[in-house]
Amino acid sequence: MSEETEAALAAVFRGEWPRLVGAAMRITGDLQAAEDSVQETLLVALDRWPLQGVPDRPGAWLMTVCRNRARNLVRDSGRAQQRAESMRPLLAGQQRQGDDQPEIADDRLRLIAMCCHPLLSADAQVALTLRLVAGLTTEEIARGCHLPATAIAQRIVRAKRILKEHRVVFSAGDPDVRDRLRSILDVIYLVFNEGYLPAAGQTVTRGDLASEARRLACLLTELLPGEPEPQALRALLSFQLSRWPTRAGPDGALLTLDAQDRTQWDRDLIADGARALELARQGERGPLLIQAELAGCHATAPTFAATDWDAILARYDELLAIQDTPVVALNRAVAVAMAAGPAAALPLLDRLAEDPALRGSHRIWAVRADVHLRAGQTRAALADYDRALDLVTNEAERRYLSTARHQAEEDPMPAFRKSPPGLIARFDELAQLAGDADRKLMFGYPVCVLRGNMFMGLHQDSLILRLAEADRAEFLGRYDARLFEPMPGRPMKEYIVVPPALVDDDDAIGEWVRRSRTCAEQLPAKKPKKKG
Amino acid sequence: MSEFLLLGARPPAPDEASLGGIARDVMAQTAWHWWLRRWGLLRSFGLPPDPAGELRACLVIRASGQPAAERLAADWGQVSGYRVTLVPLSCKAAGRGGTR
Repeated sequence: MSEETEAALAAVFRGEWPRLVGAAMRITGDLQAAEDSVQETLLVALDRWPLQGVPDRPGAWLMTVCRNRARNLVRDSGRAQQRAESMRPLLAGQQRQGDDQPEIADDRLRLIAMCCHPLLSADAQVALTLRLVAGLTTEEIARGCHLPATAIAQRIVRAKRILKEHRVVFSAGDPDVRDRLRSILDVIYLVFNEGYLPAAGQTVTRGDLASEARRLACLLTELLPGEPEPQALRALLSFQLSRWPTRAGPDGALLTLDAQDRTQWDRDLIADGARALELARQGERGPLLIQAELAGCHATAPTFAATDWDAILARYDELLAIQDTPVVALNRAVAVAMAAGPAAALPLLDRLAEDPALRGSHRIWAVRADVHLRAGQTRAALADYDRALDLVTNEAERRYLSTARHQAEEDPMPAFRKSPPGLIARFDELAQLAGDADRKLMFGYPVCVLRGNMFMGLHQDSLILRLAEADRAEFLGRYDARLFEPMPGRPMKEYIVVPPALVDDDDAIGEWVRRSRTCAEQLPAKKPKKKG
Repeated sequence: MSEFLLLGARPPAPDEASLGGIARDVMAQTAWHWWLRRWGLLRSFGLPPDPAGELRACLVIRASGQPAAERLAADWGQVSGYRVTLVPLSCKAAGRGGTR
């Protein structure tokens, strides 16, 4: 029996769970009784399937047994009379004449809408959605949220009681799913965030919750195929989850985007995100869509150096215009630092550090420390790291910040990343065009050297070329390129950074490699350094 | 070889079922029954019509003797979570007839 078969079986149960709860709700009119029916159904499957074999249509089998169990439960407890009264308001199946409010066509959607009822607090909405829609046990939810199981159990019991007590609220008819959609999306996003970057705990990620949130978002897109916002949420979560395996190192420490191994990103999830994004673009440009586009910019950049920071900045500008929150402003400041340099971002960060909503969060200080460091202001960076470390609660983030602070203190030079293997292979191809130049390693990066003069090399994710002044001016005028600046504020004026698209352009890059070699030919030969 | 009847009763149902846990249990039980069949030890089985009853399943098994049957009963209890009662079917002829 393979793990795959077990996973497929688990998927059947997970997929059917909300449908079964919804169907049982229709019959029992009571959340607890509905849950009891579904539990018993699963136990019956547990008794029969191993002996009789898994039925051809397991979902239909489960549904039949569940309905029978629910009917028996109603009959046995004499709830038949109550049911007619209690069911109608909660899960009315009849559409009212002349009512233009949309009917919620699927029991699962009714269930999600009910779990996200505005009467409930956000915490209760999350717990109830995970229990009733995702089918997680109280223990599993508690583990995911790093809370005692009793606290989660109380939340769920209280939420069920509130729903029961306020039955009258539902009596106006079916929950209006379009009005409720906003809080449904919020709840799913909350579940995801709790899984993706928990506020507390030992690890960076909690895969179960984040994956569960994406599953709910996918379910929502299936139930509401014409709605663009669930598609935007699906796109956002798919893009974010695609990086899941690379967000932490083997020791559990946080790995930032520039340090992640992009070859390990999940291409299927990125493709799913791209498809959902296209569908989401058919609607209005709301915050979810813009966030999905931002996540898409990162997910589809082949290298960190190739990230289109100008596009990211433009989207943050758009987002800030419709969602002017300190967190969005902080993220925008990061984009400014990357697109326009640290000096442009520091005044923004200084202003944000005064914001009462951000002052108490470690994030503003961690971001400002990094930007100070990039600007060469080590002392200010160390002070910011200290503030961030005072405030951070997630252990993995604390480890990351401690390491970053230690590195900044020990070595104010930025730690350079190795070039990716694919770029090194491309460099070797291009080196063939440079003729008989020597291939050497400089600071661990491959370079081409002619008579002691370096003219072409790699630096992190970038190809660097040395060009004569006229060629350099032509290059900078023709391409969206910049001078090579290995340290902030210290450009190497003879060198340019080749845009990633040009590196792969066989027709165009060869000419510039040859011009770079010509530049080196015209330089006086350097005598080799004496060893020892 | 002698025949034995194993009666499996489920203890009170838990308040909550874990979907992943149930999937694992189904697979584990399926594997266990498959091996029992493979070795020719499972003669027959019966499932009660009312799934809500305490008795959940019974097996007619073959075993070389009481100790072997007890081991199988213990295994079944472990893999299924049932409280298992072992009943020897002492008369071979009656045992065979009774299982049909």
